Order: sequence, then structure tokens, then C-alpha cells
Amino acid sequence: MSDLDRAIAQLRACRPIPEAQVRELCHKARELLIEEGNVVTVTAPVTICGDIHGQFHDLMELFRVGGDVPDTNYLFMGDFVDRGFYSLESFLLLLCLKVRYPDRMTLIRGNHESRQITTVYGFYDECLRKYGSANVWRYCCEVFDYLALGAIVLGASNTLEPSKRPVGPNESSTQEYINPDTEIEVLNSEGGLISSIPRQKPKVFTSKGSSPAKTGPPGTGASSFSKGTAGNSSGAVLCVHGGLSPLVDTVDKIRLLDRKQEVPHEGAMCDLLWSDPDEIDGWGLSPRGAGFLFGADIVKTFNHNNDLSLIARAHQLVMEGFKEMFDNSIVTVWSAPNYCYRCGNVAAILELSEDGSGDGIIARSNGDVNRSDGGIMKEKEKVLLNGPARRYRVFQAAPQDSRGMPAKKPVADYFL
Amino acid sequence: MMAQAVPNPPNDKKRVKVYELRNNDWFDRGTGFCTATFLFNESSRQEEPRVIVTSEDHPDRMLLETRICKEDGFQKQQDTLIVWTEPTTGVDMALSFQESDGCASVWKFVNSIQQQLLAMGGPGMSYSSQNMHTALSPQDDALSDDIAIDSFGNSINLPSPSLATLPEIEMQMRSLHNTNPGREALTKYVIAEDYIQKLIPLVEMAEDMEDLASLHKLCNIMKTLILLNDTAIIELAVTDDLVLGVVGALEYDPDFPSHKANHRHWLGKEGRYKEVVRIDDDSVRKKIHATYRLQYLKDVVLARILDDPTFSVLNSLIFFNQVDIVQHLQTNPAFLKELFGVFGPLETDQDRKKEAVLFIQQCCAIAKNLQQPARQQLYNNFLGHGLLSVINFALRHSDVGVRVGATDVLVSMIDHDPHMIRQTIFRQLNEKQTPLTDSLIDLLLVEADLGVKASIADAIKVLLDPGSQASPTEGMKQANGEFARIRPLPDPQQAEFVKDFYDDSAKKLFKPLVDLKDRDNMDFSVHQVSLFIYLIEILCFFVRQHTHHSKYFVLSEKLGQRIAQLLSSPEKYLKLTALKFFRNLVGLQDEFYNQQMTQAKLFEPILNIVVETMPRDNLLNSACLELFEFIKKEQVKSIITHLVENYRDTLKEITYVETFNNFILRYDQSEGFAPSLESSFLDTDDSPKRPEAGRGSRWESGIKDLDAQEEEYFNTSDDEDEAAKGVGSRASVNGASPLSKPLVDYPSDEENENMEVELSAASDENTPPKGGKTTVTPIMSAATLNPPEKLSEKRRREDEDEDEMSKLSHPKRRNSMNSASVVSNSSSVLRRKKSFNASPHNGGSGSKSNKIAISISPAIKTGGDSPAGDDGS
Repeated sequence: MSDLDRAIAQLRACRPIPEAQVRELCHKARELLIEEGNVVTVTAPVTICGDIHGQFHDLMELFRVGGDVPDTNYLFMGDFVDRGFYSLESFLLLLCLKVRYPDRMTLIRGNHESRQITTVYGFYDECLRKYGSANVWRYCCEVFDYLALGAIVLGASNTLEPSKRPVGPNESSTQEYINPDTEIEVLNSEGGLISSIPRQKPKVFTSKGSSPAKTGPPGTGASSFSKGTAGNSSGAVLCVHGGLSPLVDTVDKIRLLDRKQEVPHEGAMCDLLWSDPDEIDGWGLSPRGAGFLFGADIVKTFNHNNDLSLIARAHQLVMEGFKEMFDNSIVTVWSAPNYCYRCGNVAAILELSEDGSGDGIIARSNGDVNRSDGGIMKEKEKVLLNGPARRYRVFQAAPQDSRGMPAKKPVADYFL
Repeated sequence: MMAQAVPNPPNDKKRVKVYELRNNDWFDRGTGFCTATFLFNESSRQEEPRVIVTSEDHPDRMLLETRICKEDGFQKQQDTLIVWTEPTTGVDMALSFQESDGCASVWKFVNSIQQQLLAMGGPGMSYSSQNMHTALSPQDDALSDDIAIDSFGNSINLPSPSLATLPEIEMQMRSLHNTNPGREALTKYVIAEDYIQKLIPLVEMAEDMEDLASLHKLCNIMKTLILLNDTAIIELAVTDDLVLGVVGALEYDPDFPSHKANHRHWLGKEGRYKEVVRIDDDSVRKKIHATYRLQYLKDVVLARILDDPTFSVLNSLIFFNQVDIVQHLQTNPAFLKELFGVFGPLETDQDRKKEAVLFIQQCCAIAKNLQQPARQQLYNNFLGHGLLSVINFALRHSDVGVRVGATDVLVSMIDHDPHMIRQTIFRQLNEKQTPLTDSLIDLLLVEADLGVKASIADAIKVLLDPGSQASPTEGMKQANGEFARIRPLPDPQQAEFVKDFYDDSAKKLFKPLVDLKDRDNMDFSVHQVSLFIYLIEILCFFVRQHTHHSKYFVLSEKLGQRIAQLLSSPEKYLKLTALKFFRNLVGLQDEFYNQQMTQAKLFEPILNIVVETMPRDNLLNSACLELFEFIKKEQVKSIITHLVENYRDTLKEITYVETFNNFILRYDQSEGFAPSLESSFLDTDDSPKRPEAGRGSRWESGIKDLDAQEEEYFNTSDDEDEAAKGVGSRASVNGASPLSKPLVDYPSDEENENMEVELSAASDENTPPKGGKTTVTPIMSAATLNPPEKLSEKRRREDEDEDEMSKLSHPKRRNSMNSASVVSNSSSVLRRKKSFNASPHNGGSGSKSNKIAISISPAIKTGGDSPAGDDGS
């Protein structure tokens, strides 16, 4: 058993690892993350997760429901820390898994992965209590600066694969229900079917803008791509913690940022981590004081121009765990059940399955641009790309008995 | 006009401090004397009950005048505190009385009015003074406290506590808890009957009988009592006699039936409290213990179930206790003498010295929460007793914990007022002692602990910041343009200090960089790498802040060349830091640095990184592209000229983004920018072709004006489309140009030849749709210009999770004991730039703030996270 595996085992038991090990882990993670682009390319199948917020036991529940690493390919959209009482264990476990299985774990940055925010919302305090100094917090913050800002999921299928997870004895198996027309399937934590929504006719979207010239791999802005309308792969999915930015009209603009810095108070990088979709036209001021609100028109234009079929983001509590908006062009995924131990919400993760046709699959390797080219030009019609088939697994907070009472670690000695 | 008929308005003056909640910070409006009385209102021709505070220093000035007009507007907290929300302005206020008697008598008046209002059916009534006077007749006075609970007076009669009656008690309390009057009645009853005291023996009884059901009931009862959110009850719960019983009951949470917490074990353990110097005052010692227990309640026992109001009540109790404790200590000369005496020659116990440092560290951590004058007083007292020599001692201590403590104390003082420390340094210099900055430099070069190192680096930056009253700049453009010119003239003493620093100390500080000169091998130890990173960060800061001295220093020590060497380090994060230095230089848009970089050919290694990493999409590559994108966007002509003239072939090869070919294009189109230069810069030397002319004087004087001209020139001569200007200025922070065309395909090598053709074709078509862009722009520029508007338009949304940038600008309020070493990262030390107005939460606060007027913590609006918390909005 390697040191890393030992650390993983220890963290899985919700026990912090020693400071020296944290330092080493963070250094290794940094080496890895520095090779990642600002927008990481990920290929389906992948399970997309939203905010975790230090709810360690619920993260364990997430792995139980979604399948363990490395059997399942995960993409976490930030906000690993703060608010919950086990930010440290949650983040370090995810980081360990990232280092151990770099191609099976993708971590992108949330607005809470920041020095300023963590000093206010709990992670700083937690590190101080658990280690007696802020060093571990500093190591983690250093890693935050290296986290990617977004991810593009390629090669997701239009049809659902049968659920891999075994179903409980009293649940109906989802396998019988798989219908090639199913676009959205919602399962409970034991794999039982809650609802299933068939695919609708292609949505025609009229935009004032010109038609896209890029027909390359979705989201890459490349000039040609074999996908066309044939095959059963769908447009790419952009994953980002918050949302869009008025300064970013193409995914490639994100690649031009120097992301290694504290999350700024404004600018493209800030917006990607702070913005929220809202029922408005165009852009609006955000009540959060950072980032923007953006409406359906913005999302549809952006998706259209970037050959995206869907934007997956987190950042906002949704009581049902996930919420699709704007004709299914954007979805909020929230993965912290009973948020703050009292909100009473359920959580969800989003599974995208692999496009079985082998078409449009692009192998992932960190940092390498290894994209396909050549092929048929896609016709330039203003059709919103079909979203990939989406399977949401909804789950609740971990059973209370499994985790002891959540509480912060008390301060040991005091003078005053 | 006083109301003679009333015998009991407390007209005798009560000395009091008036506080107002501003930006979630209790702001001291001054000290004065408080009266609560009826005053005749000319317009309504009625006498109205009012609370008035006249200033102590200027008796003719009114610090406060407020009308009592709501039945539950005012609240008494602890013995000496009255809090309320000003109905007209919505501002949270507090009166802190010098003596509890004064507080009690004013409260008696206020409370009786409130009870009367309650009896009259709530707010909105007009108050005839006749009514009030009757209500406040002496006979009624004794009873007035009970008016509110009249309707419950009969129903409140809880069974006397026993294991058998617990279910009944729990049920009754739960139903009382549901209504406001019920809660008030319950509160009064519990206190009057010593009910908690009676419940506590039941815990052990039930434990002995292993009666889990009763223990769960006791836990629920105790939770209900604490969530009544009454300061008196909470204060009672943490007294020596009751605390173990209370937390004992709370160990059996029915939500976790198979678990038992160990609160009693934790709190009961001896030796948690450490006393370096005996605190003689019993009441202060009690407060210290109570504060610790309150924090334990907040963080551990109640962490999961705390609602917003209770969280605030706990925080305000902690806050006011801490104020009292620190006040007591620092006004106690004997105590201070003994405390600092620990560091004297007579003390031989090394552990005691260590603990004394940690004690001071904790004092300073608490002081961060105090009002500015109180904090100032504390630091002055500490400094007067020789704090700096303590820091000097502690910084060299072998125990890293002590060193951390010392840097924490130092950073918190610098945070409070860097000028205060600088004055001390000047004094050291006058007395020919080693100045603190030199000690810090020595330590930075050898310190192994990362945290200490980081704090020392921050301290050096702030102490050497010439214009620290002006906020350091973040926007690159600002640093060069407007900002630099309006910067107030630095203190001459400070200017002299900075000058001396460059003569001597700076050489020592940056020696490790200078020593790179003869080194080929760029393999470094972990420590060296981290030292380089700190040094480069400090240098970046100096380059931005010390415009004159740093320029000469960077030039004469050839620091640019040295840092460029680090670009070839195998450690990518060191490369990144080195790159950041050059990005800083370019960002300054200062021709002096541009020339230094072009003459020393420092762009060459950066271009090489692009070539080496392309077309890999990784952090290093993005950071390089960002730098060149900035040059492109800002049209830094001298650099573009230099790049094209020297590296045309290399630039041509880099085709996976069009930035570099754009350079060539621009250069060729304008024929090396020559014509335009001649016409608009007749008397300047923008072109690298005649770089020597007048450099000596340039950085002395003319440079700023030149830059302004340059800026204007670029702004007017550019072919950029106007609509994007607003966006552009915003973009400069992070460098993404809204105008830059999208990247095109990342070609594989064999295709390079065809690329140029494809490229131009693609870029034509890739022009982003104009429709979207133009609609965006107006909103954007509005946002750029008026950030506060964001807040005025603030509204709540049901699913919002409450993170708001604006909250970050206030100091952290919910420091717990151990946050001694709070925020020592540079951003908090150095950037206080955005002070958004703190806007207290609008939604939901109406109903909450009635119960609890002080919300010290902006940090977590826990209740608001849940949809239920929004009911009030």
C-alpha cells in the first residue's frame, strides 16, 4: 500500500492526514494541475457533481450512489470547502483521488476556492483548529490557484446506457425502462426510477447573430469536425462553477486567462465562478456583488456559437438537487444534501454516458491538444444542439448514524 | 419639557456609549449621558417617550434621540446593554452603559413603555401621554413587567421538573416556543423559577437509570431553552454551576440516538485554561471562562442547530465579554508589568515565556474585533511596555509556535496601523539600533516555516509601502495613470526610510536573486524555490509602489535578467512566478521597463516558453499568451516593434493563436509605427531605435506626463470599436480581451503550411455576432463605473446561497479563540480596496431583528440559507 493509498484510507475514515503529508500532496497536485488547461477536456462517461461544502459524510454518500473512484469518472465543479465542518477532509480526499487517478477525477475551481472567501466561511478556521497553524490552509489555497476554471465534456451519448449500479430488491430495475428516446432520467439513490422524460423535437432557435463558422469539436472553436448531424453523440457540455461572463464569448477566450491567482473581484475569471442564470434578458447585475446574472438569450447564443448543447454549473442551492433552465440549455447541479445541515434539500449528480458509436470520442490527456479534424462540414442551421441523454441520481444526506454528530473541532487551550 | 407627573422616568444622567452597526461593525458614536423621558413633540402636540443621549464633550450636542414606538423594539442584553433597530433608518443601535444601575433604570422606563404598547395592541397606535402616564404610575410599575404575559399568566405553570413530568414539560415548552408572547412568557418563567437549576439534577438521575428516552427529552428541553434566544438564559447556562449540567443534557441528541457527545469531558477537563499571569479580578476570570464556553456552545454543541438569531446572540455575548476582558487587562498596569516582566532577565522559565507570547497573540486576535480607539489603546499600552523587543525575542525562538505567534502579533498591529510600527522603526534608526525591517529580512532569508515566511513577507511589503494610506493598486493601468498622480505625497520620513532601504537593506534582501548571475544550473532546493517566490512577489510589489527607487534598483542589479534565468527552471511554478514578474512590468506600461526588457532581450525566453509549450493547452502556456494578449490589446508599440524586428520568424511560426501574427500585421501596416510616432511624439523616445536619449531624467520626472500622453494617444488613435471600451477596461484585470478573436484550431505539426490560409478565412467568419455585443456593453460599463449600484439593487432570491463578495470587505467577526493568527495573507493585509457598503440583509431581517438586534457576524446568515429564512421578505 503506497503512502497515497494510506492517506486515502485515512481520509475516507474522516481523519486528517499530518501536515507534512498535506504539503507533499499539494505539491504533487500542483505538478498535475499546472499541466491542465484552463478548460479541461473530459470525455464521457462522466459523473458531474456540484457543491460539496465540506459535508464529508454526504460526499461518501455521493460515492456510494454514483459509484466509487476509479470505477466512475468524476467531475467536481468546485466549492469543496466552507460551511460544512469537514472541508479539510473532503478537499484533501478529492485531491488525493485526483493525484492517485488523474484521468478519472477532474476538479475545477469554485468561488469558495479562494483565500478571501475561506477566511470568512469556515475553511480557514477549520484548518487552524485542526492543525494549530494556518499552514495547511496556505497549502490548500496554493492548490486552489492551480485548479482549472472549467471543463468540456466531449463524446456524451444521446441515449442512456443501462444503469450499471445494482438496484435494490424492492426497486424496479431501470434497465427495462431504457428507451432510446429517453432524454432525461431521474433515479433515486438506490437506482429506482423516479421519472423519465422522452426527447422532444429539435428546438429551433433564431438568433440575430450570424451562423457559426466553427464546425470542429464542440467547444474547441476548431474549424471542422466529423460529428455533423449523424451519429448519436451530442454537442459538448461546458462545466463551470458559476456561469458565463460578458467578457467570454467563446470557450477559447477562457484559455487566454492567466488563472494562477486569487479569484479576482471582477473580470472574466471572477464571472465564471460567480455568475448565475436568471429569468432576464441579457445581462444583469448580480445581487452577490460579483459576477453577473445572465438570461436565456445569452446561454442560447453562447451554446450556439460554441457548439455546446448544455452548460452544467453549480453555485446555487436547488432544493431538488438539480434544475434545468432555458429549454434545457443550462443545468444547475447541487451535491450537498441538507445543506448546512439544515436546509432540507436533496442533492443530485449528473451522469453522462459514453457515446457508443466511437464517433467524436477524443482521448483525454492532460494538457495535450489532441483533437480530431477532417470530415464533413456541418450544415449551418440555427438548431440548438441536442443535449446528451442525462441521468440524474438524487440522494439525501447520509444517514445520521453513519457519521456521528457534525460539529466543529473545539479550541483546546485558552488564555482569554 | 419634562413630564412632572411621572415619578419614575430616569432623569438622572447615565454615562453611556452609543454604538451604531455600520458595515457589520459596531461603530462608536461617542460617549454621553442618557436620559429616557417624555418629550413634547411640537408637530403632533403630544408627549412622546424618548431616549436621548447628550454628548459628554459637547453637552449641547445630541448623540442620539429616538422615540420608543414599538412594543418590542428595544432589548436589554446582559447587564449593561440595550439594543434596538432604529425604526426610521433601519440601523441597528446599541447603548452600552457604564453601570448596570443606569442601564436598569433606563431599561425600566423603556420596557414599561413597550409593555404598554403591547397591551395597546402593537405599533401604529398614537400614544397619548395620558395613557402612558397612567400606565407608569408607581403602583403599576412593580407589575409592569408582567403586563406582557398577562394572557399567558395563568397558562404558564410548568410541572415541577421530574423524570415523570418531562414529556409534559417538553410538550408545553414546544407549544410556547411557537409564538412570540409564549416565548417571552416562557423566558420569564424559566428565570423566575430557577427552572434550569431544577432540571439539571435530572440528567444524572436519568443517566443512572439508563433512561435514554428521558435524556432525549432533557436534550430537547435544553435546546428549546437556549433557542429562546434570551441573553439572560444563555448567560446563566454557561455559569460555573450550571454549564456542565446544561451541556450534559445536550450530549443526548435524539437526532443521533446511538451517539453520545462528550461535552462534559471536554469542558470539565482541568488545565484548558492557562493563566500566565494571575488575573485577580474574579468577575473578569468568570467572563473568560464564560466566553470560552459560549464559543464551545456555538462551535460544537449547537453548531448544527443554531438559527440565525441565536448565532448572533452568542456572537454578541462573546464580543461584549471580550471588550470587557481586554479593557480590564490593558488598564491594569500591575498586570501588564508582570506580563512583560516575564521576558525580563529574572524569569528563567522558558515555557512561561512561550506562553506569554501566546497570551499576547490571543489578546491581539481579540483586539481585531474591538473598536479602533480601544485597539489603539491596547497596542499603545503593549508597545509602551516593550512589545517590539518581545517580538524580536519571539521571532528568533526555536519553537515554531512562538514564531508564528510573534508574526501574528506583528501582522495584526501592522494591519491596524502600519504607521505606528514605522514610527517605532524610525526611532530604532535614530537610536542606531537594527531596525525591525532588517531583522525581518534576515529572518525571511532563513525561516523554514512557510506560514511565518509568508507573514514576514507581508510585513516587509506593508512596512515599506510609501503611500500606505492610498490603497495599493490592482488594476495595472491605474498604477501608471491617474492613480500615481493623485497619490498623496509620502511622509518625508518614510520617503527617507525607503531611500535608505534601497541603499542597503534591499541588496541584502534580494541577494539570492542577484547571486543567480553566475549560476547555470537552475535546480534548487524546495527552500530556495519558495524563497525566490517570496522575493519575486515582494519585488513585484515594490516595482508597483516605489516607482523611482525600484526602477534604478532593478536596472542596476539586473534583476530582470536574473529573474529571466528562472524562466528556465525545471520547476514550472517557479517559471510561472518569474513570468508573473514580467507581466507586472509590462502591466505598468512604463517605457522605462519596456526598454529594460527589450534591451536585455527578456522577451526571448518568454517566447521560447510559448514555442516549447505550444500547442499544449496548459497553465504556463495560457499565462504566456495572456501576457502577449495584453501587449496586443494595449498596443504597446515599443514592445511590438521589438518583437517583430527581432523575432519575426519565431512569431510567424506561432500560428495556433493569432496574437503573434497580429503583431507582424500591425507592425507592417504601420511600417514600424514610425509615421505615427513622428507625428505625435516629436519630443519623446518611444522607439527603441534611440533608447539612450534622456533616460536619466526620464524616470526622475517626466515619465508620468509622458504616460498620460501615451495613453491618450493610444485611446484616440486606435481602431478599436468604441462600444467595447467599457468592457476593455474591465478586462484589463484578467487580460482577456473582449475584442480578441477566438483561437482557432490547434493544428498538428504537418499542417502548419496550410494554416495561414485557413486562419484568415476562419477569423473573418469568427467575428462574434454584433447583436449580442452591443446589447451587453451599456450594462457593462454601468457596472464598471458604479459598483455600489449592485448593492442597491440587491435582492434576495429563494435559492441563493448567500455568498456575497460584499461580505468580504468587513473584518471577520466571528473569530473564535484560536483565530489568533487570523488572516495573514497578503490580500487582506494589502488590499482593503473594495469597501462595498455592507448592506444588512433586507429580506427576512424584519422578523429576525426584532428578536435580536445585534448581528455581529456577517459571515453566515444561516437561517437565510433555508427557504424558511425568507419568509419575512
